[in-house]
Amino acid sequence: MGLIELAAAKALASSAVFLFITLLMMASAKRISTCIVLFSIQSAIMAAEILAMAYAGKSVGAYIVAALVIAVKVVAIPYALFRIMKDLKASQDVASSTTGAQSVFMMAGLILLSFFAVAPYAKTLRLDEDLLAAAVALLLAGAFLMVSRKKALMQVIGLLVLENGIFVAALTTTYGMPLVIEIGIFFDLLMGVFLMGLFVFRIRDTFEHLDVSKLRRLRG
Amino acid sequence: MTLVLLLLVPFLAALIVLTCKQSTRAVCVAMSAGALEVIAIANAVWRIRSNGVLQSGRYLRADGLTAFFLLNVGLILSLVLAYSIGYLRHIPAGRFSSPRWFYSLTFLFVFTIMAVYLSANLGMLWICVESTTLASALLVGFYNTKGAVEAGWKYLVVCTVGIAFALFGTIALYLAAVRSGVNPESALDWAVLMNAAPSLGATGNLIKLSFVFVAVGYGTKIGFVPMHSWLPDAHAEAPTPISAMLSAVLLNCAMYALLRFDTITSHAIGSEFSHTLLLIFGTLSITVAALLMVVQRDLKRLLAYSSIEHMGIIAIGVGLGGPLGLFGALLHTFNHSVAKSLMFFTAGNVRENFGTLRMRRIQGMARSMPWTSAGLVVGSLAIVGMPPFGLFISEFMILTAAFSASRYLIAILLMVSLSIVFGALLHHFQRMLAGKRVDVPVKLKLLPSDFAVMGVCTMLLIVLGVHIPGAFANLLQRALVVLQ
Amino acid sequence: MNLAIDVIQALLLVAIAPLVSGVIARAKARMQNRRGASLWRPYADLLKLFRKQDLVPDTACGLFRLTPAILFAVTVTAAAFVPVLHPSAIFGMSGDFILLVYLLAIGRFFLMLGAMDGGSSFGGIGASREALVSALAEAPLLLALISVAILSHAVSLSGMVLCTVQQYPFHLSAVYVFALGALVLVAIAETGRIPVDNPSTHLELTMIHEAMMLEYSGPSLALIEWASAIKLTLIMALLIGVFVPWGMATSASITALAIAPFVFVLKLTALAIAVAVIESSIAKLRMYLVPDFLGMASALAILAVAFTALMR
Repeated sequence: MGLIELAAAKALASSAVFLFITLLMMASAKRISTCIVLFSIQSAIMAAEILAMAYAGKSVGAYIVAALVIAVKVVAIPYALFRIMKDLKASQDVASSTTGAQSVFMMAGLILLSFFAVAPYAKTLRLDEDLLAAAVALLLAGAFLMVSRKKALMQVIGLLVLENGIFVAALTTTYGMPLVIEIGIFFDLLMGVFLMGLFVFRIRDTFEHLDVSKLRRLRG
Repeated sequence: MTLVLLLLVPFLAALIVLTCKQSTRAVCVAMSAGALEVIAIANAVWRIRSNGVLQSGRYLRADGLTAFFLLNVGLILSLVLAYSIGYLRHIPAGRFSSPRWFYSLTFLFVFTIMAVYLSANLGMLWICVESTTLASALLVGFYNTKGAVEAGWKYLVVCTVGIAFALFGTIALYLAAVRSGVNPESALDWAVLMNAAPSLGATGNLIKLSFVFVAVGYGTKIGFVPMHSWLPDAHAEAPTPISAMLSAVLLNCAMYALLRFDTITSHAIGSEFSHTLLLIFGTLSITVAALLMVVQRDLKRLLAYSSIEHMGIIAIGVGLGGPLGLFGALLHTFNHSVAKSLMFFTAGNVRENFGTLRMRRIQGMARSMPWTSAGLVVGSLAIVGMPPFGLFISEFMILTAAFSASRYLIAILLMVSLSIVFGALLHHFQRMLAGKRVDVPVKLKLLPSDFAVMGVCTMLLIVLGVHIPGAFANLLQRALVVLQ
Repeated sequence: MNLAIDVIQALLLVAIAPLVSGVIARAKARMQNRRGASLWRPYADLLKLFRKQDLVPDTACGLFRLTPAILFAVTVTAAAFVPVLHPSAIFGMSGDFILLVYLLAIGRFFLMLGAMDGGSSFGGIGASREALVSALAEAPLLLALISVAILSHAVSLSGMVLCTVQQYPFHLSAVYVFALGALVLVAIAETGRIPVDNPSTHLELTMIHEAMMLEYSGPSLALIEWASAIKLTLIMALLIGVFVPWGMATSASITALAIAPFVFVLKLTALAIAVAVIESSIAKLRMYLVPDFLGMASALAILAVAFTALMR
């Protein structure tokens, strides 16, 4: 039992590294399904962190939040996204405006930038620097994905990664917010993804394509 | 109970309207629900005036500032509902496009706005502001045309990203509060944070970080300039009553959220940092919006940029601070919402009569639509800040505040951009109003409700411009007290 | 004693190299639902080639003849740098990993020259493509090795291996992860496997390494094929040694020394099967996408170096 706990503790201590790995893989991914699976893995890593916190702090609220994360972010939202992909019958191509190496370079740069951004706060507030940097990196990576990918669904995935980053930031700094607020945030996220899915269908129906870089009728 | 009623009425109305299969019945239900809501708002405002602060449970609270903004919502809601009776005759048929869906979504939207105003808790505030985006996204894309879908998508995505940044700022504030010793369970409650504000100042940089993110986040919803890209599209493509709601109510709602954060920040680390940031956003907004207004071709887009500009003026007012600047800013939120609603209503009438909103194609309005043209003239004079109307008073106050704080550059920028706006509006509207197009048939018969709505707006603007009623000024003063 | 083990491990690498090729070929065949050739087939191929006649083009000068010998000599020398059975090697010295990289570069350089000297256009194609790939692969290779060196406060491969062996197996450092990622991508490029180069094609559009050895025959071809097999085994042993060295003999006891070869062969087999699986599931990249592939390796390597300062 001690060995398993030790292994789990060591694995969780490196969860920032796992998050960085998922970010780099997302940068070089060529298909939308890969990105959805990677998002699911990221959420699973977050859920593991919360479970560790719940186990250490023995708080019921944290268990509920972990269950919510697993139910919503690991299962429900990726499933919904896969269903949307299937119903749209759209191509899996990510339609990136940067090549694979350029994306990975940008992502590596963002990861390093997040470390520099977090350094002063981590020292003065005595926080876990790695996880906080991972949170900021997720935020920046989400923004980067939204800007550089031209498919509407990729913008949704970028948004989800961004929200993941904010969630990890909340996790690292304050061990989560009050339970009611967390539930409200999850509900909002679900509704947001639902509405965006609705709009993706509408875009496909009115424009006959899913390339948001071509949505440029309203200008000026 | 008062507060719960404010939330319950629109929510139930949204559900009930959906069940009405006939459009006339839907309209009736909507109108009665609207009337009920307005009465509930009046009741709440009265109660707040006599009791000070109303609290219901842990998450609902209404103080003086809330009362002021509730009055704003009540007024605009009644105007919009009255106008929509006539407007709905023209909604084209299609998926989601029917009166019951329109009213249902509108009441859902009103429910979320009420929830924002009544939130006691900053986390709750965030959740409700995000839900206003979600509730209004379907309204923006209501017509299902290419432009509407594009505008709706942009609105949804840009605002959700912006609000996500605001969440980050909220978390940073929560962290600062918890580290300063506030009880974690209530560290997001606004009143608790106000009490603990002096001790929050010790965390210094964290509060600044939190405010920057919150300003960027809620600023996206307000329409400050680097983050405004969704605003012209959304306000132009939405149905006209919804455009009025968006410009007049939603922007104020987001400004309310920012004001709550600004107050905490000012009490914690002094007002210099937050006010400088607000001044930067404000001046950027008024200059860019004024310049862009000159080259607009679509009437509602022009009005949307005007909204951006006025939000900039309000931000400058708050950023200048002091009793004069703040009073002017709050008064301006109210005046602007009335004037902008008037402008949008006339724009709606123009659209129905001429079939288009391209200003180049509209001529001879003064002949074919005399009453609407009168409304347009009154509205544009008000928007520019001409004396008999209320916006003159609030803008004058803000200018005075700028001069007395020796911020001459800001005052000059404000005056220059107002002049540019005046020139732009004159140029656009003169072409629309004059002209000898006698071949356009008068398609539009104005209903009494349309007349009533435009008349009420005009009267309000004149009243507020000539002499602010004592009760209203009192309400405004109490709101100011909350902010200081 | 140490020297004896060092010599044994170098000879082991040289001797086992064709077997590794055989295992990879067999695994690929199995994945394609064929039975595949025997595991010892590459040895038979080498023997056959050594008995054949060495044909040299008329237009070739000395470089063509010298290349196979130089390539083989350099690769065998390089094999003497890699710790296999215990954390030390014959030529282990400070900075040996840099020397290793450039020894392999010497071999590659002469291969390119020999290919161009052979006079056929395929040689030219192969040489120019190889120049592109190797130029881009050099930086991430060095950077990744340097990052591991910085992290383990070591200056030689033996030092790096020793540092990793002594750590608790569960320690996952970001530097190791990124360096491993970069090195895997570079290894694919250096050893000429799919997705960078197809080792069993002779189509003009797709061959790089094969193009350079197209003109060779007889013992020269045998030496070149053996040398490329040794290079593959060497790089695999390098990856195993730097990243998963547990099982190596850290003490001079008989049991440790007896277990070490078995553990090594096990890991090598696993890695060979992994190579076969990757080769069977990914398509070869078109030539203009290869710089992109290596760009990713560079990004990972730079990240690995940056992380030596940020995280442990």
